[in-house]
Amino acid sequence: MFVDDPDPRLHPLPHRLDRRRFLQASAMGAAALMLPGCGGPQAPDGSRINYWHHFTNQTEIRGLQRVTEMFLAAHPDIDLLQENIPNKDFMAKFTAAVQAQSVPDTTMVTSERLGNMHAMNSLVDLTDRVDNWPMRPDYPEDRWQGISIDDKIYGVPAFAFVDWMYYRLDWLEEAGIAGPPTTLEEFQDTAIRLTDPAKGRYGFGMRAGDGGQFIVVDMLEAFGSPIVVDGKAAIDISKATEALRFFSELFTVHKVVPPSAPNDSYRQIMESFRTGQTGMLWHGTGSLTEVQRSLSAQQFGTAVKPAGPEGVITRLSYLYNGMMKADNADIAWAWVSFWGETAPAVEFMEITGYFPASARVAQDERVTGNPYFAAAVESVRIGRLPHQFVGADAWGRLTVLPAFQKILTGDRTPVQAAEEMAAGLEKILS
Amino acid sequence: MPPSQRRLDRSLDLFTGLLVLAFVAFCLFPLGWTLLTSLKPEADIVTATLQYIPQHVTLENYVTLWQQSDFPTLVTNSVVVTSITGLICLTIGTLAAYSFSRYRFRGRGKLLIFYLVIRMFPVVLMIIPLFIMMRNLGLLDSRFGLALAYTTFLLPLCIWMLKGFFDAIPLELEEAARIDGCTRLGALVRVVLPLARSGLVTTAVFVAIVAWNEFLFAMMMTTSQGSRTWPVGLQLMVGEFQLPWGPLSAGGILSIIPIIIFFALVQQSLIRGLTAGAVKG
Amino acid sequence: MDPRKGVFAGDSNTSILVRAGSRIALISETHSWAYLLLLPSFLLVLAVLIYPVGSGILLSFREMRLTRPDLGTPFIGLRHYRELWSDPVFHISLVNTTIWALVGTTAQFVCGLISALALNRGLHRLLPGMRLARVLILLPWVMPSVVAGHMWALMLDSRLGVINDMLVRVGLLDRYMAFFADPQTALPAVLVVSTWGAFPFFTLFYLAALQGIPDDLYEAAGVDGAGLWLQFRHITWPMLVPIVVATIVLRMIGMVNAPDLLLVLTGGGPGHATQVLSLFAFQKAYAEFDFGYAAAVSVVMMLMLMAFTVVYVRISGVTKE
Repeated sequence: MFVDDPDPRLHPLPHRLDRRRFLQASAMGAAALMLPGCGGPQAPDGSRINYWHHFTNQTEIRGLQRVTEMFLAAHPDIDLLQENIPNKDFMAKFTAAVQAQSVPDTTMVTSERLGNMHAMNSLVDLTDRVDNWPMRPDYPEDRWQGISIDDKIYGVPAFAFVDWMYYRLDWLEEAGIAGPPTTLEEFQDTAIRLTDPAKGRYGFGMRAGDGGQFIVVDMLEAFGSPIVVDGKAAIDISKATEALRFFSELFTVHKVVPPSAPNDSYRQIMESFRTGQTGMLWHGTGSLTEVQRSLSAQQFGTAVKPAGPEGVITRLSYLYNGMMKADNADIAWAWVSFWGETAPAVEFMEITGYFPASARVAQDERVTGNPYFAAAVESVRIGRLPHQFVGADAWGRLTVLPAFQKILTGDRTPVQAAEEMAAGLEKILS
Repeated sequence: MPPSQRRLDRSLDLFTGLLVLAFVAFCLFPLGWTLLTSLKPEADIVTATLQYIPQHVTLENYVTLWQQSDFPTLVTNSVVVTSITGLICLTIGTLAAYSFSRYRFRGRGKLLIFYLVIRMFPVVLMIIPLFIMMRNLGLLDSRFGLALAYTTFLLPLCIWMLKGFFDAIPLELEEAARIDGCTRLGALVRVVLPLARSGLVTTAVFVAIVAWNEFLFAMMMTTSQGSRTWPVGLQLMVGEFQLPWGPLSAGGILSIIPIIIFFALVQQSLIRGLTAGAVKG
Repeated sequence: MDPRKGVFAGDSNTSILVRAGSRIALISETHSWAYLLLLPSFLLVLAVLIYPVGSGILLSFREMRLTRPDLGTPFIGLRHYRELWSDPVFHISLVNTTIWALVGTTAQFVCGLISALALNRGLHRLLPGMRLARVLILLPWVMPSVVAGHMWALMLDSRLGVINDMLVRVGLLDRYMAFFADPQTALPAVLVVSTWGAFPFFTLFYLAALQGIPDDLYEAAGVDGAGLWLQFRHITWPMLVPIVVATIVLRMIGMVNAPDLLLVLTGGGPGHATQVLSLFAFQKAYAEFDFGYAAAVSVVMMLMLMAFTVVYVRISGVTKE
């Protein structure tokens, strides 16, 4: 191998870069690269704002485009840049942006994420603007609950995710059942009667994969166990156990659920309903158009989700738009509040099926005239709002869901899982 | 050649052929299914009974993909980022790998290991500091910035790979060149590089593929109006409420095409580089 | 002959280029040439990797919970590491990561080596279709993991899955199986997907290395009467060892550090059956916003990889020359 040998035939260069100099040069070079360069905070641009959201499927995007069109028509001097981020990665990107102080003007906010976003001091307090907003009276107090912390409001409701149940009309007729179940007892009974292995039919498409944690938490509350009271973990183990036992036995004992449940997420339960594998499905109004692609009006109907012994399992969550920067505040507010106006809210609903957040808009003929939406109107009335405590999202995803999955796969008994969930909740809140 | 040798050769050929066929089938089967799925309308994908051969062939998935995901921009960005990454990696990497391969200097072993160790830290945690740094440099949401980010985690790999290829080239050739009066740089460029061509191309292909498919950094550091790349666009189609199998499959098929073209183009120089590789006499 | 020109073949075409580069060429004659070659890469790595990695390591000794800014970021020493040790999910992840990385890398290596050997022989013997086969075999690795993950999920789906359908028709299964819902089959299923997608990485490099081995060596061995196995053991394998070590180490790093496929296919479920350290760190950081803890997990991952590399490289003897 070559070693550094001075070759007498060649003229040596005047300077010698030895190892020490090399390291010095590297250090200086590295320091130079690291100096904060031209990237300071940008001067506010008078007429341009950006908006981060996690609408990702085609119908949602069409809805957004329509609202954007209407907004730009009403405010021709404003330029809106929208940025869509996959829902799964939204918080990761959000966190990075906050850390680097490179945040958008406006952003979509879900109630579940409010706690975390607020804890990062990233949202602008909109209480004053909202109080002076002419549309405010159209929104009952519960609309604001999901976006308020300590009586300060951080966003404007844009639309609602309303929980409901789809069921196979034709299967019920075949089985001689009069109507969809209204209590969980009836629900279990109906599911058993609809299940027919010979025809490859299951009564219920349980979502125990990604996203299933919300249903499990709803179930706990429907059986009477609170979750968080005054900022402290307050799970009632015996009631929680009963809830978990009831729900898991649909899979483990009664076998009215397809065996793929532990990994089934939205896509799978939707496909199982659409291909005729399951007879009942719990989801929200936003998926109506998708179900209609495979099933006709004679085949399915919508209903309010059945109620538990001590409460409902119907969840109602509003989606909000909030502001993150104080620059361009007026324009940002114009965009954020635009979603509350009647015309965009109704058109958005017609395209996507997402329920309007405004009580007044909900009385519009286009809503009340749609037969499917009767269930939604009722669900809005009785629906339970989601939890907002800091760490709610993490607790659901990383503690509740795996614990429930372990009941299904036989690794835990319901009481063990309930204890695990309670312990995890205490840890997150500490 | 004795007939028994020929028979042995023939049966080995058959075995080799079958083995290769098995691998090709294993590789192509999912791709074939993706292709078939991309040609079916959605109603034929989400059905109770499986359709093998599409009953209705349609190109609507490709059209949807083109329109909905802003395909041309995304792919252009990906191509640019991948090219820059490849260029930087290969030039800087070649220099460093050559140094490691040919010279014994103090700290050589440690530096080599250091380059590797630095790669062992999970990317997931580096993203935020890297994001902040890129922002300070004004390189956020720029194709060059992304290429730089890619280069840093691909560079150590490049160096290790290229060093391996350089190690395989005997020193005598460079020594001969030096005796003839060539400078060391000259020997590197005129003797070593041509011989290492297959290694260089291989490493280039590797860098291109990794940069092309990278998702995490691209998602964090780019925006849709700026330099968003293709994999991010694809992932966006996996909406929480809908998984459009048709367009996603179409996207998968389209992802492969530029790389196939690239590989087909360089395949020739791979072969040429190989025949020049043997040390004659 | 003028040594400053550094010309060695002397024809006019090359001499123009060389004269233009002769000053650069002269620098290559200095003592510091070896270091100069290294400078660009070293600077780049220093600047763009050291800061993130360094801050990440330091972070593991601090508290940093983004949703609790009231806690600040105090130095807490080894507390995260103690918490890790008593966290059952960490231990499950550790076991799963070891299985995932070792079994996955081995399967990918074996498939890669065999396919490379077969392709090499096929190309050498000019069998038909080999050039095409070489491109086709590379395709799984070319495909983005997002697409590959979802397509395999579709093929293995318990309702729409073609693999399920075929297995039932052939009689190996009596009904569609939910591969990702059963803790027994979830990890093996993801390993199959991972192997499919990653083995061409090995094929690519081994084939290039194999094709660089001169034919004369094999001819000489053949004349001496050495059979295939002996030729492999004494000619092929020794020349492959450096690249085998390099590729295996790199692949292990990839398997341990990248959560992509598992994120898409199982999310660590069902019930932590496929939970691995990379996912665990990701979730701690971006779902719980506990960056200090996530940093500690990452440091553990890094130490595992370092231990593996040191042992493996030493065993293979590749740095002794």
